[in-house]
Amino acid sequence: MPTEVILPKVDMDMDAGLLAQWHVATGEHVEKGAALFDIETDKAAMEVEAPASGIVGHIVAEAGSRIPVGQVVAWIYAENEEIPDLPPGGTISGDTGAAEQEAGRNEVAEVPQPTAPAARGSDEAGAENDSGSPRPRATPAARAAARKSGVDLGRVAGSGPKGRIQADDVMRQQPVSSGPAAVAGLSEAAPPVDWAENQRPLAMTRRKGRAKGHPILLIHGFAADASGWAPLEKALGDAREIIRIELPCHGRSPLVRIGSFREFTRMMVRAFDDLDVAQLHLVGHSLGGAVAAAIADIRPRRIASLSLISPAGLGPEIDGATLYGIARATRTDSLAPWLKRLAARPDAISHDFAKAAMMARMEPELRAAQVELADMLFPDGTQSFDLSAAMARVDTPFKIVWGRQDRILPWRHALRAPDVAGLHLLDKAGHIPHIERPEAVALPLLENFRTGEIPVQQR
Amino acid sequence: MNAPTRQPDADIRELSYSEAIREAMGLALERDERVVLMGEDIGVYGGAFQVTGDLVERFGADRVMDTPISELGGAGVAVGAALTGLRPIYEFQFSDFAALAMEQIVNQAAKMRYMLGGEASVPVVFRMPAGSGTGAAAQHSQSFEAWFGHVPGLKVVQPSTPEDAKGLLLAALEDPDPVVMFEHKLLYKMKGHVPEGWYTTPIGKSAIRRHGKDVTIVASAIMVHRALAAAEKLAGEGIEVEIIDLRSVRPIDGDAIIGSVKKTGRLLCVYEGVRTLGIGAEISAMIAESEAFDFLDAPVLRLGGAEAPIPYNPDLEKAAVPQIPDIESAARRLARREV
Repeated sequence: MPTEVILPKVDMDMDAGLLAQWHVATGEHVEKGAALFDIETDKAAMEVEAPASGIVGHIVAEAGSRIPVGQVVAWIYAENEEIPDLPPGGTISGDTGAAEQEAGRNEVAEVPQPTAPAARGSDEAGAENDSGSPRPRATPAARAAARKSGVDLGRVAGSGPKGRIQADDVMRQQPVSSGPAAVAGLSEAAPPVDWAENQRPLAMTRRKGRAKGHPILLIHGFAADASGWAPLEKALGDAREIIRIELPCHGRSPLVRIGSFREFTRMMVRAFDDLDVAQLHLVGHSLGGAVAAAIADIRPRRIASLSLISPAGLGPEIDGATLYGIARATRTDSLAPWLKRLAARPDAISHDFAKAAMMARMEPELRAAQVELADMLFPDGTQSFDLSAAMARVDTPFKIVWGRQDRILPWRHALRAPDVAGLHLLDKAGHIPHIERPEAVALPLLENFRTGEIPVQQR
Repeated sequence: MNAPTRQPDADIRELSYSEAIREAMGLALERDERVVLMGEDIGVYGGAFQVTGDLVERFGADRVMDTPISELGGAGVAVGAALTGLRPIYEFQFSDFAALAMEQIVNQAAKMRYMLGGEASVPVVFRMPAGSGTGAAAQHSQSFEAWFGHVPGLKVVQPSTPEDAKGLLLAALEDPDPVVMFEHKLLYKMKGHVPEGWYTTPIGKSAIRRHGKDVTIVASAIMVHRALAAAEKLAGEGIEVEIIDLRSVRPIDGDAIIGSVKKTGRLLCVYEGVRTLGIGAEISAMIAESEAFDFLDAPVLRLGGAEAPIPYNPDLEKAAVPQIPDIESAARRLARREV
C-alpha cells in the first residue's frame, strides 16, 4: 500500500498553498523526515517532510501550482512494492488552467528517470545545478569569462560579497591541475605579496546541497587549507550545502598580519557574518576548532550544531616542533617527516600526499605568514588561548571527535570540555582523523547535524 | 571659422580658469566682428565673477553689452542675434537664473535648426557659472548640466581646467548650434597651463586625467579634481583609479567610458547635480546597454548631489555634494569588492 503525501494545512486560515519546489524527483528514494517539497502560503514558506521512507513513485502536482489543502501531491512506495504506471488517484494541478494541467501531466510522465540519481555517484554531485536551484550570484564579467572558458559557474566559489562570483574566481578555475584537489589553482592564485593591510575577504567555497537542512561550515586547521576536507566531505554526503572558509594566511585567503587570537577570530566572524545563512552546522579542526568554538560563542543563535575535531584551545600543550616544521618546510622531503607525525600510521602519509601538500605551500610569503602566525598563536610551543569557557557556554548539540594517537594535541585535553559535549575517541587516528578515518568522523557529525535540525522543544 | 589645431609646443604659461575664458573671448572679439558679448553687469563692472573683466575697455560697449535684469529678455536678444548672423556669447550671472530663460534656450535656440529644416541655425553660446561651495545657498548653487543635456539641439560642455575652459569656449563659438557652457564657480581662481593663441578642445570628447586599472571614475568640473585627490590617496593603498574627465555632457563620450570600463570592470560616476536622474544615471545606463556590460565585475556606483536644495550652512553645503572622502571611500569599496 503506497503512502499518500498530501498538501498539509500549515496555517490556521489556509485553504490552499503554492507548491514551490520539489526536493525529489519521481523514482528517487526518500527517507522518512527528509525534505520533500516546499510550500508557500500567504504568510509563510516551509518544507514538508516525507511521511514515510521509500521510493517516490508518482509526483502528481507540479511545482509552481496552487494546491488545495488535503490534496494528494505524491505517492511513496515501499522498497519492494510494485509501482503502477498510473498513480492511484490520477494527476492533479491547481488553478493553473487546463492547458497547463495537460503540460504538467506530460512533464510528470516524461521524467521517469531523473538525472539526480545518476549524478549521486559522482563526488561533486552537490555542485550540480539542479533545475530548482537559483542562478549563481555572479558579475557580468564572471559570466562572460565562464561562457568563454566553458566553466560551470555552479562549481565556482565566489569571493565577492554574499559569495558573488567575480571574474578572477572564474579565472582561477581554469587551469585544471592533474594533481590532487589540494593543488588546483594554487600556483595560479598567488597570494598578494603586499600583506601589510590587505582587506580582501577570506577565501570561501560553497558546494550546494541536494536536500534541505542547514549548511555545514568547515574550518580547517593551522597550515592546512580547505582542500584537506575532501575525504570528510565525501563521507558527509551531498545532502547539505558545504561551505569552507580558509583561515587568514592560509590557502587562497589574504596574507594579513594578525596581532592576537581575538583579531584572528574577528576576521573569521566577519567572514561568517558575510555568509548570509540563517543557521549552520559549524565544524572545525585543530586551530579551526578553536576558531569554531569562538564563533559559536559570539554568534550562538546562528549555530545549529558544533562539531570539533581535535580542537585547539583546551590546554597548553601542543607539538610546536611539528607546527614549525610544517610551516617552514620548503621541499617535499623536509615536509613529509613532519606530516607523518600528524597521522597514527606514518605510512598513511604517502609521498604524493606530501608532494601535493608542498605544492600548496610553494609561496614563500605564505610560509612566512604562517610562521609569524605560529609565533603569535603558539609562542614557545604553547597554546596561548583557552576556549574552555567559550565551550562551556555552548547550548547547541556539541560533539568532539579526537584521535587516540594524536601527537600534536593530546586527546586528554577533551576532558576539560563541558558536560554537554559528546566525546568520540577514534582508535587508529592521529591528529587528522577526518583524513585518516573520514567515515568514522562523519558518523557522529551527521548525528550531531540531525539533532541540531530537530526543533529545540522536540529534542 | 576653421578650426586651427592646438599648438603643441606652446610655452608653459599659467592662467586662471576665468583668465582663460576672458582670453578666449578677447581672441574671438579680435578675430571675428560677428562676436558680441551680452549679459548683466558684464561691462564696466566686469561680470558677476569678474570673467569679462576689462573686455569692455578693449572692445567697447557695442560689443560687450550690459543687458537689463531680465534673463528671458537678454537670452531672447542673444538667440535672435544668432539667428540673424551674429555670434553672441550670453553670460548668466548664475546658471540658476537660466531657469528664467528656458523658453529661449529650450524652445527657441534648440529647436530652430530642426523646425526650419536646416535653413537656419542658432550659433549662440550661453555661459553659466554653476555649482556649490561658495555659500551662495539654494538659488545660486545648483548644477543643471543634466537638465540642458536632456535637450536635443543643445550641446553642453563643462570644462574642468583653464586649458579646456578656453578650448571649449572657442569650440563652442565655432559650433553652428547653441552651446551651453557650465563654469564651476570654485574653478574660476584655479590656475593651469593655457596655450597661447586660438585652439579648440573638441566638444564630445572626454579626457583621461589619470590612468589606472582597478576602478574607473567618470567625473566633471570640480569633481574631476576631487576624484584626482581621492585617487592619489588610494594609490598609496595600491588601488589604481582611472579618471575620465567628461568635459562634454552632450554629446557624451561613450566610447572612452566604455573602453575604460572594459579595462577596469568597475565604474563610479561622480557628479555634483542631484543624484537621481542625473549624469551618472545616463552613464550607468549607457554602460549597462553597451558591450562593457560583460566586463562589469561589480555594481555601478553613483555619487551625486543630495536630494535637497543646496543649504546655506557651510557644513551642510559641503555634505550636500560629493567630497574627496566620499569619492575615496566609494572607490575603495569598489576596488575591494565590498559592494
